[in-house]
Amino acid sequence: MIKGFAGRVLEIDLEARTFAFRPLDEDIARLYLGGKGYGTRLLYDLTRPGIDPLGPENPLIFATGPLNGSLAPQSNRFAVVCKSPLTGGIGSSACGGSFAFGLKKAGIDVVVVQGRSGVPVRVEIDGDTDAVRFLDASDLWGLGTGATQKALGRGMHHAVIGPAGENRVLYAGIVSDARIAGRCGVGAVMGSKGLKALSAQGTRKLEMADEAGFKTYTQWVRQVFKGHPVLGEKLRRFGTMGIVNTTNGRNMIPTRNFQAGHHPGAMNLSGEYLEDHGLVGVRSSCLHCPVACGREVEVPGAGRVKGPEYETAGMMGTNLGITDLAEVNRWNWMADELGLDTISLGVTLGFAMELQQRGLLSTGLTFGSPEGVAEMIEAIAHRRGMGDELAEGTRRLSLKYGGKEFAMHVKGLELSAYDPRGSFAQGVEYATTNRGGCHVQGASMYFESTGPLTINPQNLKLKAELPVVQQNLACAVNSMVLCIFTTYGLIPRQVHALKPSGWVHRLARVLFENSGPAYRWIMSGKLLQVTWMDKWLSRVTGMRITSGHLQEIGARIFNLERMYNLREGLTGADDTLPDRILHEPLYKHMTSGHPLDRLLPQYYRLRGWDEHGVPLPETLRRLKVRL
Amino acid sequence: MTITVELTYDMAKVLGTRSIPMEAPRTVAEVLREARGRFGDQGEAFDRMAGVAAIAVNGVLVAHRREGVRLADGDLITFVKTASGG
Repeated sequence: MIKGFAGRVLEIDLEARTFAFRPLDEDIARLYLGGKGYGTRLLYDLTRPGIDPLGPENPLIFATGPLNGSLAPQSNRFAVVCKSPLTGGIGSSACGGSFAFGLKKAGIDVVVVQGRSGVPVRVEIDGDTDAVRFLDASDLWGLGTGATQKALGRGMHHAVIGPAGENRVLYAGIVSDARIAGRCGVGAVMGSKGLKALSAQGTRKLEMADEAGFKTYTQWVRQVFKGHPVLGEKLRRFGTMGIVNTTNGRNMIPTRNFQAGHHPGAMNLSGEYLEDHGLVGVRSSCLHCPVACGREVEVPGAGRVKGPEYETAGMMGTNLGITDLAEVNRWNWMADELGLDTISLGVTLGFAMELQQRGLLSTGLTFGSPEGVAEMIEAIAHRRGMGDELAEGTRRLSLKYGGKEFAMHVKGLELSAYDPRGSFAQGVEYATTNRGGCHVQGASMYFESTGPLTINPQNLKLKAELPVVQQNLACAVNSMVLCIFTTYGLIPRQVHALKPSGWVHRLARVLFENSGPAYRWIMSGKLLQVTWMDKWLSRVTGMRITSGHLQEIGARIFNLERMYNLREGLTGADDTLPDRILHEPLYKHMTSGHPLDRLLPQYYRLRGWDEHGVPLPETLRRLKVRL
Repeated sequence: MTITVELTYDMAKVLGTRSIPMEAPRTVAEVLREARGRFGDQGEAFDRMAGVAAIAVNGVLVAHRREGVRLADGDLITFVKTASGG
């Protein structure tokens, strides 16, 4: 067995209340790593086309990767893979917390949950005795995610759902500690199985190929992280809300359902403001993470709880026309407790407000007013009244009540808090990412709009290449499994130190922006190990990995996801953006919206796909994607 | 002609204001000069903080060519610092 893997897959059947340990497929692990890659391969192989995502035949796959349990910084994460009830295509989501650590210490790489329990159930995995216990969870059903974990106690590491998952809200997530696998409705799938909680613990030791080398190298990387302007300073000090002022200043923070990209009061939702006014002094982190991007805030009635992330500030703040930090803190806490994805929730609420604004539907919600929002969040999680409609997400709401042109989703997954009209590569990424309109499946906006280089985000240079490279990298990162923030750290601190007005900055930007094929060629090189990801992975697994190998593995996963989507009925026509993004200008000088029509054919060519977005047979052969 | 200048959080904190309305600047260079003048004794602090921030006009970075960018009525000038998020 490749080092870094426990070598076991646990299969659980909730209907029959049976379980079995199977050996990890080493060939799949070599080709797809773990996490999202391994999970996608399993999902493709285990299911027939057209299954009901909320039916018992949809497997819910929890997958760790070779870096989990290794104490590599930012590595305590797991991936969840299933067919998404929100999009009907590939559903995948990643989560921090501590569950990945518990699972790996139990000597398990992947858990496949099949079937459906007739009564609420929770499952405990004791890795030391290889016992899997099916326990009655009736007393936990209806509890929030925090209350559930508190009731389960500290002995094990948990992945749980809240009322939203139980009630199959299509954007319900799965929570571990204070972190959530928020996207694609993975919590609804868990709820559909009657599974309230999955818990694991053990004391098994991870075997590495070069333990001493890994340890030395990790210590060095920790120092690099600590001194890095993003990981060690900005994210550490301000959390992800530290980006609010940047996107607001760049006219790209969603405001009133993407009707604008700037809100004069957005500063009140920033990480800096939080530090000065709302932060109660405690940073929180996933297990063993030195960045600690989480923030605790005081919410009346709830005490000290995890504070909002940037996405929440954007989607449930400015996107609703609201910049009251106390309200956003409270709604964020509610969403976490109920087990809701705040991105999809915020977009759906914003859409409901615009329906009201245009007189298409009386939702009782209006832009700029917090009135009724908290009640609606509760109603969504419990599928009461109008909340039952909103629980279906933006796409379904628009199909029923109109407003398709301003329904801010791609493939059914609601857009994140970066307006792609100020970040063209990000727009290509939203349009083409297999799970839908998501920013953490590549994060091109970091290079073109928010990060230190900020190449011109509104020309066509590099705007097709960048998403390809970034999506591949993100697929690999989500399969190791590492936090996507590790990729931010790949830009050296020296670049961050450049003055934006200086000629060196300008030169670097111009060179990068015009690099095109050279950039792809450099990233696909298999001779040199450049990043710490390559080096960590090699030291843990014993396989020689370079950034080129990561690109290849990522492309393989991305293409398999694509083939899964095609099998489920999605087509190239789904690689698009909301009409508002395509046709309405956001900036003063713009005459139209995002130029996706000019970038998409180029992107398809770079991917090795035909003009309809279908991978060519030679592409699949080259990448060893078996169908 | 009226334009609005929005400062970074750090600038706002030190200089005591979040935004500055201006009546007649024609270029970004004039904005920088006028803003510096308004902060009097704190002019040096303004220079220091403005130097490490990028400048966007209506959301579009003007960066290296910022001095010469011409402005129009209603424009929004923002000082922006780089960040990362999720």
